[in-house]
Amino acid sequence: MESTETYQVKLKVFQGPLDLLLFLIRKQKIDIHDIPIAIITQEYLEYLEQKEKINLNREAEFLLMAALLIYIKSQMLLPREKAAEEEEDPRESLVHRLLDYQKMKAASTLLKKKEAEELLKWKRTFLPPLLRIEDLDLVEVSLFDLAEAFFAVLKRKEREDFQIIKRKEHSVEEKIREILTILRENSYLDFLDFFIRQQTLEEALVSFFSLLELIKAKRVMAVQERRFQSIKVWLINDSPTGK
Amino acid sequence: MNNRLKTIVEALIFISQKPLTPEKIKDVLQEFPPEEIDQAIEELLQSYSSNERGIQIIKSAGGYIFSTNPEDDHWIRRLLRIERKNKLSPAALETLSAVAYHQPITLSEISALRDTDSFHTLKTLLQKKLVKIVGRKKSPGRPLIYRTSHEFLSYFGLESLKELPSQEEISKILEAGEDVQE
Repeated sequence: MESTETYQVKLKVFQGPLDLLLFLIRKQKIDIHDIPIAIITQEYLEYLEQKEKINLNREAEFLLMAALLIYIKSQMLLPREKAAEEEEDPRESLVHRLLDYQKMKAASTLLKKKEAEELLKWKRTFLPPLLRIEDLDLVEVSLFDLAEAFFAVLKRKEREDFQIIKRKEHSVEEKIREILTILRENSYLDFLDFFIRQQTLEEALVSFFSLLELIKAKRVMAVQERRFQSIKVWLINDSPTGK
Repeated sequence: MNNRLKTIVEALIFISQKPLTPEKIKDVLQEFPPEEIDQAIEELLQSYSSNERGIQIIKSAGGYIFSTNPEDDHWIRRLLRIERKNKLSPAALETLSAVAYHQPITLSEISALRDTDSFHTLKTLLQKKLVKIVGRKKSPGRPLIYRTSHEFLSYFGLESLKELPSQEEISKILEAGEDVQE
């Protein structure tokens, strides 16, 4: 009479027939991680040993259930292969990407705020060179030096295989404004550095003419600390009218 | 003795151009017991915390550094003849956020996150030393991997990466609404 009864599992989280346990796990009412399969099988074997006769039906059923349990648990424990994940739900990855994007946007807003706060606090780290043009023993470079440096940069750029995707019009007025802005912010401008950053030949040429204009108007000064050192452009007269 | 230690610590912080960590201070002052050094730092911070001074000692990137008060920015700029300080571009801030939250990260991962090619922005950030290269990824092409640097922390006045807003704080900002998208 006992043999017709199903085997009962006794665990902390569950007590009852094994098929019910399996059902609950599949329905996710019970976490598979909480089910000690080793203990279930151990106890089942002990239970079997106490029996004189074996009920084939019951034992086959247990075996099937236990095998399913082990399968489910192994699936949970093993790291999944990437390919399987990608097949899952394409929407999920999109949502994930959107969330990441939003997070990044929000974080950059915060960083911007932090930056503004921090820039108000001056540290010795931030100090620009406290040099003033009159304090330096500088050599003003000639037009020839400037042109030479300019062509050296052009040569270097030539070797880069760049393509023009978008054609932008550049005007000397615009460039003059750009150069002045850089000078006001940084107190000086590195000649080489500035021209290397120019995107196209046209832009570089316009920049060069703008610089020459500014030098002619005595608004900036191109100087070298020593010969063959980098050429720096300094602002000497900010307003176009004032002498 | 203690007062002497306090002035030494003050001198060390003063002379440092980067945030000076307590470890470094202890390293230099190896003749002194570490607990006394900690105490000296603490006392020094306290004596600077009053509003009577034009400079303060702030914690940044895990260390201490002298800084002026934010209210005096105007006068300092007048002295230094600086109209305003350069700020990072929105693209640079976005790229930094991507690196900060997903580091270690490759260029193509950053570009994917931002949905735009980030080569030039990343290059600028490297030049500004706000990000650094930490190695190569063991994947096809062996792309370079990037992390935020120590300078990143001190630039934004962060003590450590943990100070970056958490997921919850970010959700709050997102809920707060439109002002995020400037």
